[in-house]
Amino acid sequence: MNPRALAAWSLSGITIALATGNPVYRVLVLLAALNVLVALRRPDVSLRGLGIALLLAGLIATAITTLASHTGDHAFLVVPQAIPVLGGPLTLEAAFFGASTGLGIAAAVLAAAPLSLVLMPNSLVDALPGALARTGAAIGTALNLIPGIARSASEIRDAQRMRGWRSRRVREWPDLAVPVVLTALESSITLAEAMEARGYGSGPRTHYGEIVWRRADIAVCVVAPAAAVAFVVLRLAGVIADWYPFPDLSVPPIDVFGVMCCLALAIPALVWRR
Amino acid sequence: MISGSVASLERFTYRYPAGTNDALDIAELRIDDGLTLVTGTSGSGKSSLLRVFNGLVPHFHGGTVGGSAEVCGQDVINTATRVLAAKVGFVFQDPELQSVYPTVERDVAFGLENIAMQPQAMKQRVSEALERTGIAHLRERAVATLSGGERQRLALAGVLAMHPRMLVLDEPLSQLDEDGARSVVSILAVLAGAGTAVVVAEHRLDQLGSLGARMLAVEDARVVEGTAKRARRGDDAQALRVGPHAIATNVAAWELRNVATGPDRTPILEGINLSARAGEVVALIGPNGGGKTTLLRTIAGLLLPYSGAVDRASGRVAFLPQNPMALLHRATVAAEVAWTVRGDPPSADAAMLIDELGLTNLAARDPRDLSTGERQRAAIAAVLAGAPRIALLDEPTRGMDDDARDALCRAIRRLRADGSSIVIATHDKNLVAALADRTIAVGAGSARELAPVAVA
Repeated sequence: MNPRALAAWSLSGITIALATGNPVYRVLVLLAALNVLVALRRPDVSLRGLGIALLLAGLIATAITTLASHTGDHAFLVVPQAIPVLGGPLTLEAAFFGASTGLGIAAAVLAAAPLSLVLMPNSLVDALPGALARTGAAIGTALNLIPGIARSASEIRDAQRMRGWRSRRVREWPDLAVPVVLTALESSITLAEAMEARGYGSGPRTHYGEIVWRRADIAVCVVAPAAAVAFVVLRLAGVIADWYPFPDLSVPPIDVFGVMCCLALAIPALVWRR
Repeated sequence: MISGSVASLERFTYRYPAGTNDALDIAELRIDDGLTLVTGTSGSGKSSLLRVFNGLVPHFHGGTVGGSAEVCGQDVINTATRVLAAKVGFVFQDPELQSVYPTVERDVAFGLENIAMQPQAMKQRVSEALERTGIAHLRERAVATLSGGERQRLALAGVLAMHPRMLVLDEPLSQLDEDGARSVVSILAVLAGAGTAVVVAEHRLDQLGSLGARMLAVEDARVVEGTAKRARRGDDAQALRVGPHAIATNVAAWELRNVATGPDRTPILEGINLSARAGEVVALIGPNGGGKTTLLRTIAGLLLPYSGAVDRASGRVAFLPQNPMALLHRATVAAEVAWTVRGDPPSADAAMLIDELGLTNLAARDPRDLSTGERQRAAIAAVLAGAPRIALLDEPTRGMDDDARDALCRAIRRLRADGSSIVIATHDKNLVAALADRTIAVGAGSARELAPVAVA
């Protein structure tokens, strides 16, 4: 798949998720993104960690809004006023608004996630415009150092433990931190030396991974942004109604055009195959 | 300037930015097509010399340079390394630190991208380089999953893809098992035979020495024809041998009973039953990725077995990891050794070990400023200080010259005589011949004891 087309799709998903407070549309964006991730993610990628993180983010957003916003007609609990910030009625409206905010965050993050979970990191770097190619290569290389630094940190911890280092003593932490930092610096310098020795910086670069535009890529690149633009325009024109739960909780309005725009985001899972 | 050679240096001197002496002082040197082996003791200037050929010295490292150096018709002193890279390929000592991209295929293409080759031609070059180095089957693998030997061949493939006129390799065999080393040596022999100038700095001459290469030695910053004073072929290891060693005690030092163990939640060794006594040296041999390090870490207690039991006698367990930099963080070598025995009663043991390993002159130096072989000795001194009950050493002779290896052998024999139980994971067959009371082959999921070999 074409990384630029996927980037356009991600941007479209994020736009719709953030352009509305209506939880129905946010759920649809979330489902479309989840569909893309499940169908197209790299074989070595697990979605479990991301799922747990998003669930936590949603719960935290709901909890904070419920506890801190005391607006709404349907109070289900009253916290004594003596408690700062939390004191006052806890309302269903605030709880639903918090949940909708959490949904928005989850939908936006899931829409961006395919850039790292579907594509190889270097595919995205390759897709950068020529002017950013060297910067992109440098960033990609720096990111590539991270797993090595993590491995060496673990190796250093083991080596120091065998020499009597104990993690419980705070004054001994520098005995771990200093070699980790020094080793990371040395690794960076050695890598820079290796890159120089392989001609990095000698002039304009080309990319091994060619950016090829197939029909499916063009379809994604046209349909998803068109859906996002249509959603925003219809939202601004008042055709697609937004949702606001205060002061009295109501059912989110659903518009057929809004639903169609969100469903259009499912296109990558239909036209792309891993 | 001497013409007709691939590389030529005349009255060439080089001093590192903080150096007080010249690291290189070469009256005249020319490198022609074919294989050239560079030998020399640790810290003699081999790596500095190699770095002149692609301009890393002086362009990357700075410092003061004099005289002239020409490589592939280009003036090294006035040509950037990144420009010379199109003609001079360089393979560094540690292959782990020269991969730029996370996948094999992409990493091989990195140099070609830098010289702006078109994608179609690039693909052809990448395929060809992968074939030549025998890793075409790893094309789509993540670099992080490769063994040390595979990584070394990947580094070589990345350089060969550039079709260099001159190929420079800094200790390319130091981390390889016998098969891996043989494979790299055969690639180098083919390249040299096909007219590429191949320059290799290496301590392991047992395989390279038979190729009829021109020999150069770096001694005290100067380059002379022939082998270094102490450079010795593998078959000379006889000199190190001391004959069978009578185990002084029957005291068990450690024991593994029906152990299954491995990193990352995957057992790579199963049904392991091994033990060793105090005053005994056990060598673990086997291919890269076979499980030697896993076994050492399990004995050390750094890796908990999935099943079975590990018993260790009470007392300090010393562990030398493959990367000496994991240990070295103090301001001086002496402070590094002293840190290990902090809290112990004062003893002359640490000073004796520093002396024994030939580190007396380096004791006040920052360990990170030392050469690879010197760092290795400093790390060994740091872990062996304080008379450990069990000493577990992972590839202790990596980057070491023969003098350093002799010094290590002396230190280990003394520890053994004092009752330490020593386990060494190594590819260095000379070290095994010199020290091992027992040899255990580790690989294919198991560990089995080899029959003792009579010492002539």
